[in-house]
Amino acid sequence: MKKKVGIIACSGEKLVGGTLSRAAARIVVEKLRPNSTIVLCEPLFAAGGLERHGGQEERNFAKEHPTITIEGCEEECSKIAVEKYSGPAAATIRVDEILKAHPELIPDSREDLGEDGRKLVEIIADEIAKKVDELFVST
Amino acid sequence: MSEKKVYIIPCSGIGKVFGSIGRETTYIVVNELARDKAELECLPLIVKGKKEVIEKLKENKIIAIDGCPLKCSYNNLMEQVGKVDAQFMTTNIVKDNRELKPEPSIMPIGENTKILSRKLAEQVSQKVEELLEKEGEEDK
Repeated sequence: MKKKVGIIACSGEKLVGGTLSRAAARIVVEKLRPNSTIVLCEPLFAAGGLERHGGQEERNFAKEHPTITIEGCEEECSKIAVEKYSGPAAATIRVDEILKAHPELIPDSREDLGEDGRKLVEIIADEIAKKVDELFVST
Repeated sequence: MSEKKVYIIPCSGIGKVFGSIGRETTYIVVNELARDKAELECLPLIVKGKKEVIEKLKENKIIAIDGCPLKCSYNNLMEQVGKVDAQFMTTNIVKDNRELKPEPSIMPIGENTKILSRKLAEQVSQKVEELLEKEGEEDK
């Protein structure tokens, strides 16, 4: 049986990159690759007191399954968390790089991405889906 | 009134709509109801232990908004910053308004979810005022 691929998005609320990463992750797990992916909750994954508060499921999943991190800014919080608690991430998608590759698309704001932002989400989601396919076949 | 800010830290969950309520609530507070008094900060950055962010939070007031009993925002703030000045659970606003069942959609959020978020934002912005008034009195 093929192993599911974990998707962990930075989810940060402060920057538009967080909104883009979160929206793209949802599209992948809900529409593009619902049968081969599962979303991991970044704060739950990284929660310092997780052991004391009831769960290691997210970290264990990432130990046993390939996991793709989606980074909304240069801080790479998701990648760092996965590497710290579960091992190397199978792949990392950097929203900043996709924004640079599409300078014609400018999202409105972190609260409301607007039409350009929604197009960027689709592009990011497609990139993630391609990576899922590579990993899903190889596991 | 104190010159300090109140930082609102929502849990950032993307698995269920309760995380979305926390996020939407925070945006309403920092953009509308308590503009200039409240700001938000990324929880993942706090969890990572970004020094400048942790120091800034220690010097100001903090409100945690969580979407599930694991309370990632509250617990991570306690671990990294060592204090939380007030905390809210988005599940409580749902329990208190049973006629407004939140739609399951996480992005975009539904109409009931928006109404619930605004109701919670009113409570959070009231708490922002209280915390700043208290801080102002302590400064006198």
